Amino acid sequence: MGGERLKIILSLTPPLLIIFTLFFGGIFYGFLQSLGYQPAIGKYEINFSAYYNVMFSERYAKLFWTGLGLNLWVSFASTFLAAVFALFGALAIRKTFFAKTICNFIYSLNLPMPHLVVAVGIIFVFSQSGLLARFASQIGLIGSPGDFPVLVKDKYGLGIILAYIWKEAAFFFIILMSVLQSLGENFEELAQSLGANRWQRFRYVILPLVMPNLFSASIIVFAFSFGAYEVPALLGVIYPQMLPVMAFEFFLNPDLNARSEGMALSIIIAIIVMILVVFYFWLTQAKIRKD
Amino acid sequence: MSKLTIKNLIKSFPSMDRPAVNNVNLDIESGELVAFLGPSGCGKTTILKMITGLFQPDSGDIILDEQSLLKIPTEKRGVVMVFQNYLLFPYMNVNENVGFALKMKGVDKNIIDQKVKEMLELVKLPDIGLRKPKQLSGGQQQRVALARALISNPRILLLDEPLSNLDAHLRDEMRDLIVTIQQKLKVTTIFVTHDQEEAVLLADKIALIFDGELQNFTSPKNYYEKPKNIKAAKFFGGVNFINAKKDNHNLSTNIGTVHYKGENYTDLNEDNIITIRPENIKLSKNNDFNDNSFKGLIKSVIFSGTHTRYKIIVNDLELECSLQSVGLQDIKTDDTIYVHLPSNKIWAMNE
Repeated sequence: MGGERLKIILSLTPPLLIIFTLFFGGIFYGFLQSLGYQPAIGKYEINFSAYYNVMFSERYAKLFWTGLGLNLWVSFASTFLAAVFALFGALAIRKTFFAKTICNFIYSLNLPMPHLVVAVGIIFVFSQSGLLARFASQIGLIGSPGDFPVLVKDKYGLGIILAYIWKEAAFFFIILMSVLQSLGENFEELAQSLGANRWQRFRYVILPLVMPNLFSASIIVFAFSFGAYEVPALLGVIYPQMLPVMAFEFFLNPDLNARSEGMALSIIIAIIVMILVVFYFWLTQAKIRKD
Repeated sequence: MSKLTIKNLIKSFPSMDRPAVNNVNLDIESGELVAFLGPSGCGKTTILKMITGLFQPDSGDIILDEQSLLKIPTEKRGVVMVFQNYLLFPYMNVNENVGFALKMKGVDKNIIDQKVKEMLELVKLPDIGLRKPKQLSGGQQQRVALARALISNPRILLLDEPLSNLDAHLRDEMRDLIVTIQQKLKVTTIFVTHDQEEAVLLADKIALIFDGELQNFTSPKNYYEKPKNIKAAKFFGGVNFINAKKDNHNLSTNIGTVHYKGENYTDLNEDNIITIRPENIKLSKNNDFNDNSFKGLIKSVIFSGTHTRYKIIVNDLELECSLQSVGLQDIKTDDTIYVHLPSNKIWAMNE
């Protein structure tokens, strides 16, 4: 028994060492820097002033809180809308019909696409110099492409939300399709024979059945979009700025003293994401226990 | 009153090379308990789903109380189906499951609560309203599914293989409960089964279906005594079949002339098959019988508790006979025996 345990511990040690060194090592060093510990520039004192500066100083407080608000708005809106689009897409094409395979393929196509490519695609399609603006102008819907509504690099993060919807709907779609396929249509047929109309079948049957999986997937997507950098960097504006972009700009600042603020911001993002991940694991474990 | 008429019903699926349901005609009287009996894949459940409206027929009609159901959507037909695997909503408790149909109709919550209570008492599960489906046994789940189906007073109740997921003991209990409730509520009920014993024990009438075609629709007793064709006879355990030609009010077979009293003599063709159930054949070492008595040789004797089965060769034809074991004569393999086929127990069918 003891030998078996030792064998498991020994076999797990190499990957755990890598994870601990790279992940927790990096986090720990970043955390130290966020506390002001930067031996490279002769700073050894440990305090929370970087956190205070980021959140409450006159210089950064407004940037931080509007950035946090934008982060929450973009993550929530994109997660919700991607889930809704995926749900209706999955419901529409789950039944066997002649173009099911093609629809399935098109819907899932975004999954392996890098976020960067999707962001560039959004610029090409939705910006004021993009395809839609030119098309609308050509057919006379608007006077010139410049009259097209600002959907990319706008202060409400609409371009970022569009990019995330485009990308994450595919992820939701794959999950929902597998749930719906495994459930089959018997529950809905039963509800129908018990007198439930189309809306009631959706509200009282489909939604409760897919909700546990949809909610778990939403937490993952929310956490990802909350902490991701490249899409907001490409499609966002200078103010308000999403927190990961702000953190990276602190990090790139030639004044090395600003690095503590950048790290403090990164740690705040990491804590929020970690809380979501812990909540996700708690939720999935609760579901397993329930099942 | 809920009389159901099925007229020339046809349904095909692209994946099948023959119609799943082929020209089925049925008249089910109000309050009747009818079994759709047949092997797996014969089209029973497809007919059920067409009655509910979940499948649309290619042609034909389904008429309930003189009104065609085809244009009426499933949720408005008043036809409720209980699925084979119960399908209780896992996220609802028993009360919510049972009250589902009334909630969909927008019935007042107090009335729903009262009706749910009545239904759970009807299925003899009065104290489990707050439990979730996973906390129930298979038998309890089946009863809850039945209560859920009955709460809205359906015009037709459809049960898809209602007993197939239950063990033997629960099956007996559930069978009694279905009959009791059906007789009490007088709801026209159709159930699907592949088990002929289950069909015989439960149903007023049995619709026997093979390959999408209705073979016969009659009482269980008739299937044993007067089957319509050889398929129906075999499905109900018939094993003795003898080719017979009409011969001046008798039937001429290769074991000899058989005296026949069946009322269908005039409807018979020239070439027919006669059948007799194993339990209706009589054996004697001496020729004690006046007519339809043929000399044979015992091929095998198999004791099976209450009954003993004999295989007898009569003029190259094998017949099977089942006699009660109590008080049997001493009959052994290779004994010469006289086989009596009572003329009132023989049934002839067109070939």
